[in-house]
Parts: sequence; structure tokens; C-alpha cells
Amino acid sequence: MATKEQEILDKLKQGVIDYDEDAVIAAANEALAQNVDAHAAIFDGLVPGMVEVGRLYEEQEYFVPEMLMCADAMYAGLNILKPHMSVKEGAKKGVVVMGVVQGDVHDIGKNIVRMMFDASGFEVHDLGRDVPLDKFVEEQLKTDSDLVCLSAMMTTTMVGMKEIIEKIKEKNPKCKIMIGGAPVTGDIASRWGADGYARDANNALKDAINMIASLKDIS
Amino acid sequence: MSKAIKDEMTSLERVVAALNYQKPDRVPTAPLVCGASSRVLGVTYDKWSTDAEACTKSFLQAQELIGFDAFVTLIDLSVEAADFGQKVIYPTNSTAYSDTNNSHIREVEDYYKLERINPRETPRMKLEVDVIRGLSKAKGNEVAITGFLYGPLGVLSQLRGHDRLFMDCIKHPEAVMAAQEVITEVLCEYARAQAEAGAHSICLDTLYASQSIMSKKMWEKIEAPYAAKVAQAIKDTGCVLSLHNCGNGIYFDAQEKWLDPVAISHAYPADDCKTWEEHVAKWGKKIVTIGYGEPSSYGLFFTEEQAIEDSRRMIEEYKDCDGGFILATGCEYPPNGTLMNAIAMVKASKMYGRY
Repeated sequence: MATKEQEILDKLKQGVIDYDEDAVIAAANEALAQNVDAHAAIFDGLVPGMVEVGRLYEEQEYFVPEMLMCADAMYAGLNILKPHMSVKEGAKKGVVVMGVVQGDVHDIGKNIVRMMFDASGFEVHDLGRDVPLDKFVEEQLKTDSDLVCLSAMMTTTMVGMKEIIEKIKEKNPKCKIMIGGAPVTGDIASRWGADGYARDANNALKDAINMIASLKDIS
Repeated sequence: MSKAIKDEMTSLERVVAALNYQKPDRVPTAPLVCGASSRVLGVTYDKWSTDAEACTKSFLQAQELIGFDAFVTLIDLSVEAADFGQKVIYPTNSTAYSDTNNSHIREVEDYYKLERINPRETPRMKLEVDVIRGLSKAKGNEVAITGFLYGPLGVLSQLRGHDRLFMDCIKHPEAVMAAQEVITEVLCEYARAQAEAGAHSICLDTLYASQSIMSKKMWEKIEAPYAAKVAQAIKDTGCVLSLHNCGNGIYFDAQEKWLDPVAISHAYPADDCKTWEEHVAKWGKKIVTIGYGEPSSYGLFFTEEQAIEDSRRMIEEYKDCDGGFILATGCEYPPNGTLMNAIAMVKASKMYGRY
């Protein structure tokens, strides 16, 4: 690989790690100016940066604030580079519907998971927070998504997940469902028929990566 | 099955003994039945959250029904923010919450525009104070009353939105701290009002002092100095200072250093302990644990037998802490959960809680 291209990829990676949005924007623009392939800039620059961020998160050198800053930096680069990917390169790896269930506005864990799916080339339909239960079912059917991710931080809102899982599985048994949030446990995920579980923002990232791998297997 | 222990202390005496590491007649219980109490009285959640009389009656009836030893007057985490001007949504059957799509603090400059308010007069904090007053009048000589307030950074998160606030802690720490100055003054006055209304102890919620959210270093820089002022104001009233933090890997050492609480209500071991066994050995005789049953299991899944067994296990875990343990759930008892397992928790104390 040309030294210049590697230099730009390193800048993209380091900018994400340092949550330096300006540096990432500059490197993304430089990549385009130097005719660095946009796909390479994303997957050999931004994504390795996020992988390192994930490691720092796991090692508890980074926490939620740093993670959110890194996400912003990565999105800044992604927004510049993504429109320059070829149709073939930009082909989606899978479709994900996600959101925070009705009555709940705690969306940090969901946003962190979303970031990984975005970075990895999945088509993400983020319904946001405080999402009516039936909206998840409708959106899954509309998009024929491979995965639905549900998040809740309160027991009062968490119980809505059970209803969503039942309805989605009834209509599309192949769809994978991942749930997460502070009151959710692995036991609850199993009881309610979910396929994946993320306890909180701390391990949501890891589980998101695992789910991506799982989706790759089925696609 | 063990025979029930005959009570020799009032609930208040039992809690006071535990907080002083003096063995009570049996392990006190405080299953954090807050919003769930609305279903005992039979009022909607929105009424419970906004009507002091309904809220007080709910707490009283729940205590009569369940037999717990301490009221913890957590209404919800939007109480303080609402009075600063944050729009709050009050669902009929669920916990009230800040509408962070309409954040009170929209821009960084807005941090500097927060104005001091009088918690004795504003609607929701006054409600909390009135509830404490009502409980004190009805049961203040028998049952422990723990007031509740959200820490300065917590209140700010309700006004700004969590994600934006956490990023501002890195990008604009001065603005975050300037807003906390104002909030802290109000919280200190709020603590004094709770104490005057009859609270025996006041619980300060320091949710962000845990690995679930931010580094210890960041917490010590951003919130600890302000939380320390609130903690001191609570101590100055003569009330016992307790903390609530249901995050994972909570910073016991940093909170001991800055706040020096008597007790912490928590759901997970401290960040410097891998297991509950380690936590008990390291912290069990320094800071009283109020915990640590998993709320969703108690409220939604356990049978009565499972709830009693889980409670027995926790009592056993803390049996060598000189009485310094209060059996509770690690966070609020599910407002929508079965109350039978809160009763089971008290039953477990009566069966297995003798020291």
C-alpha cells in the first residue's frame, strides 16, 4: 500500500481514537482528494479506530463520554466517505431495526450499538427513543430486517419488550432479536425468546460485535 | 423452615441499629417500594407523582401491607429538573420522565442561565418535602424515613439529556460545573427542607460515580466537589447520609473520600471487588450495604420461595458485618411488579435475619 494512503488511513483511525472530529473530517477530505478508495478509508481507517475504541472501552480506559465522542468523530468521517462508496462496495450486509421502547428515553446504549452497525455497513433503521411497541413490528415487516434491537432502562418499560418479541417472532421467526438495558438480564432475554442480550452500555458494544458476526453467518 | 423471629425493636430502631453497626433484633428491610405503592392505594402513577396526599397515603399503606422498615421517598429522577423548568412526561401507568427531546438546556450557553429556585415552593420538590412531612407525622416514631435527592450531575443530565451532558463533560467542563454550582445550592436547601420535614436520613443519588458511566477521574473532577457540598449540607442537618448508585462497578473508594456516607444502596459490588464475597470483606464493615436483590427478578419472575431463598442468601452473605446490612433490592422495586415478593423479603428477614 502506498505510504501516503497508509498515512491517511492512520489519521482516520487515530482521529477516531482521539475523538478528534476535526482531524477525522480533514483526513476524510484528504482521502477523497488523494483518490483513496472510500471503502478502504472506512473499513481500513475508521473501523479499525472504532475497534481500538472498543478495546479501550473493554479495558475501562474509555467510558461512555469518551465512547460518545469517538462515535461523533466516526460519524463525521462516515458522512463524508459513504456517498463515495461504489454501489457494490456499499451493498448492505444486513438490515437492523433498533430503538428504545415506549416510555423510555435512555438511548445511550442503543446509540453505541447503532454506531457499530453503521460503521460495519449495515442498513440501520433507528426508530429513536420512546417508540410505540407496534412501531417495531411494523418497521421489521416493512424492512424485512435481519435483526431488531430493543432497549429499555426501566422495569416498567422493559416489559413491553416481551410483547414486541412475541409479535415479531410470530410474523417472522427468522428475525433475530437483541435486547438490552440496565434491568434486563440474560435470564429475561431467554425467557422472552430474545436471541441476544446486552446488559448495559459497557457490554453492548461487545454484544453488538458478536451479533454482527452472527448476522454475517446467516447472510 | 425456620420459625419467624419475634420483633423486639420498632422498624426505626432496627434501621438505626444497622446503620450504627449494632446488631438489630433482625435484619431490617427496605425493598425500595416507591412507585409500586401507588397500586396499593389504587391511584394512577401520574397522580401518585404529582399529588402529595395520594403519594403519602400510598407509601403508608404499602408499609402497612408489606411491613418494610424504611420509607425511601424516591418519586422519580425528574423531580428536581422539573422545577428548574424541564418538561416532564407523566404516563398514567409508568414512571414520570424528562422529555429530553425538549431539553431545558439546549445550547452550551444555557448552562450559564440556570437560576436558583426555592425547593420549598416549587411544585415537585415541595411535593417530596410534603410527603416526608406526612410520613413523619403518621409514622415518624416507628418507621425510618429516608428522603431522596438526585445528585447535581444527575439533575443536570435531566435538563440537558444524558448523551449531550456526557460529551459536554469532555468538551465544556466549565459550563457543566457552572450549572452544578447553582443546582448544588438548591439541593443543599432541598436537603434542609427534607430534614425539617422529618427525614431521619437523606439519600443522595450519585448514579454517575460508577464504571457504567464515567471514569473515576472524571467523576472526581466533574461531580464530586458539588456532591460533597450536598453531602455536607445533609450531615449538617443531623440526618444520616446515604447514597444510591445502581451502576456497575461503583466507586466506593472515591465516594468514601469525597462524601463519607454511612450507607450505600447498591446493586453491584464496588469497582475494586470482583465478587460480593470480596465486597463484603473489603467494605462490609465500613459502609453499610442497602441491597442488593435484582429488582426485575423480585418484581417479575421470582416465586415466593425463590424470593425468600435469594433474601436468605444475601443475609447469609452479610452475617459477619456486625449488623451493618439492610436487606433491599438494588434499585427501585419494579413499580409494575408483584408486591408479594416484597412481602417475601420481609418474611425472609423474620425467618433468617437473626444475628
